[in-house]
Amino acid sequence: MSSGVPQHESAEDLFEDAPCGLLTTTPDGTIGRVNRTFEHWVGTSRDELRGRRFQDLLVIGGRIYYETHIAPLLLMQGAVREVAVDLRGPDGAALPALLNAVLRRDADGRPQGIRVVVVDATDRRRYEQELVRARRQEHDIAQQLQQGLLAGELPHAQGVEVRAAYRPAESGLEVGGDWYDAFWLDDERIGLVVGDVVGRGIEAATTMGQLRSAARAFALSGASPGRLLEFVDAYARRHDVGRMATVVYAAVHVASGRMEFACAGHPPPLLLPAGGQPHFSWDGRSLPLDALRTAAPVTRTAATCHLPPGSSVLLFTDGLVERRGRPLDAGLEALRDAAARHGPGAPQRLADTLVRELHDPGHVDDVCVLAAHVGG
Amino acid sequence: MRALQRNNVTVEGRPDGRAMMFAHGFGCDQNMWRYVWPAFASDHRVVLFDHVGAGGSDLGAFDRRRYASLEGYAEDVLEILRELDLTDVVYVGHSVSAMIGVLAAAEEPSRFSRLVLVGPSPRYLDDDGYVGGFSREDLEGLLGSLDANYLGWSGAMAPVIMGNPDRPELGEELTNSFCRTDPDIAAHFARVTFLSDNRDDLGRVATPTLVLQCAHDVIAPEAVGDYVHRHIAGSRLVQLEATGHCPNLSAPEETVAAIRSFLAA
Repeated sequence: MSSGVPQHESAEDLFEDAPCGLLTTTPDGTIGRVNRTFEHWVGTSRDELRGRRFQDLLVIGGRIYYETHIAPLLLMQGAVREVAVDLRGPDGAALPALLNAVLRRDADGRPQGIRVVVVDATDRRRYEQELVRARRQEHDIAQQLQQGLLAGELPHAQGVEVRAAYRPAESGLEVGGDWYDAFWLDDERIGLVVGDVVGRGIEAATTMGQLRSAARAFALSGASPGRLLEFVDAYARRHDVGRMATVVYAAVHVASGRMEFACAGHPPPLLLPAGGQPHFSWDGRSLPLDALRTAAPVTRTAATCHLPPGSSVLLFTDGLVERRGRPLDAGLEALRDAAARHGPGAPQRLADTLVRELHDPGHVDDVCVLAAHVGG
Repeated sequence: MRALQRNNVTVEGRPDGRAMMFAHGFGCDQNMWRYVWPAFASDHRVVLFDHVGAGGSDLGAFDRRRYASLEGYAEDVLEILRELDLTDVVYVGHSVSAMIGVLAAAEEPSRFSRLVLVGPSPRYLDDDGYVGGFSREDLEGLLGSLDANYLGWSGAMAPVIMGNPDRPELGEELTNSFCRTDPDIAAHFARVTFLSDNRDDLGRVATPTLVLQCAHDVIAPEAVGDYVHRHIAGSRLVQLEATGHCPNLSAPEETVAAIRSFLAA
């Protein structure tokens, strides 16, 4: 024989010394045959193993997992693949393993027995745990970063009160890029900003931090709302950050109630006039930041309106009005109706109430609301 | 019809038959009943559903506060029954859903005519003389197991799991295609389930109740089934020959026969 195919290995040898644990059990897990590899690995002889149940060889958490997941899956789909379990080793230490199993049925379809392959997964498990840990860590860092960026005093003085409500997305691991900001521009005017960066995670949080700082710096240098958006847009293009981010900026003269504002692709401000019905202001609109991918500067329009004493203005991100399976118009209408029920007073309660009433259960987007009340 | 969509409700069997609702436990979905419910379809109106977070339920409806305790899940059961306008219901609950049924029946007894509790446990953790079978460390171990199988979940699965497969080609490739759920939600449900304590709610049950107990059940040991039986007045306890925690899958004939004989009594 010169084919090079080894002729000496019997099926029995292959079974006994296969480079993985092999065993058969009855449908309820009671062990029948085991191979030598498995015996060595768990440090228990086949005579001691026979009659015990396979799930009893697992550490307790894995045993619950076996009963609630693996056993049902075997009976429903006939097989499980690549399931991670920990076996109890000879000294009680956990032996990380990956398990494949198939359920055999007789001619009448009755469960007859289970064949199990167990593969040592010590190194692999360590690596997987590192991956899971890294993912969590990133989430925690992004969340801390976001919270740190959003912290700070909001303007509150005679004649003006600014409050915010922020609710991070509930599902998913990553934080989003919504932000708000409010500050005194000079002795008489306040600046209000709400923005929304595309994407999630640390990248979105750092982009949000950059745009927020840029907007604040331009505002404090005296830029009008239209000019401010042009500057932030130029910043985004120049440094290639925050493409398609949306921003709304409003400068409010506290004593007169005159508000100048501009919106870059952002949901419109909701005005809650004292003694009147809430309405959206659809003026002063332009495209999101760097929307056209062009080097040429984009001219940004602005608009003005008047907030009589006792009025409020609400800036918010789309998470407040977007809900799966509902048109945006309906979301805006729901917001206007909820705001009408609440009225323009008590900005903190207004912001909190709207977030609570309108939030999508299990929503996947951040929600950010900034409410400014003047002259009340 | 909010609850019907949210909980992926399926109605089978005889439209004018007595209503029979099957509720799945932790770790799976309504498929758990696939070998049992057909046996009742000829003379019952069979209602199957997935708890929010499991199977084909609307994952978007998951809300940590609503589902912070088993009451939230019991409220879902009642909402389904209200939307279907059902009374005289035979409720069959497996594992944690046994206690969810206890809570629902205590809340609105008029809707229920019978409770069947399969592998129930009112308290999984050992507690000052009470033997539930688990310690807090055991629960941490389970959460570790969920974590370790975390990589088996990927975002690409979500559309399939959520019942709107716009990528049907994935359907064929799914390995462990039943009982998949978002790992965050699974961990949450595990905590709520294994930290729950509903021992005091057993006394609130006035509905005739059957307790089905398996042998060698690590999740709900015999002492626990016995505890449930002693604390629900007039309940009947049947010890099954089936072993493990899922007689509805491993011994469907025996399970069906036990329920049938209880309903005939």
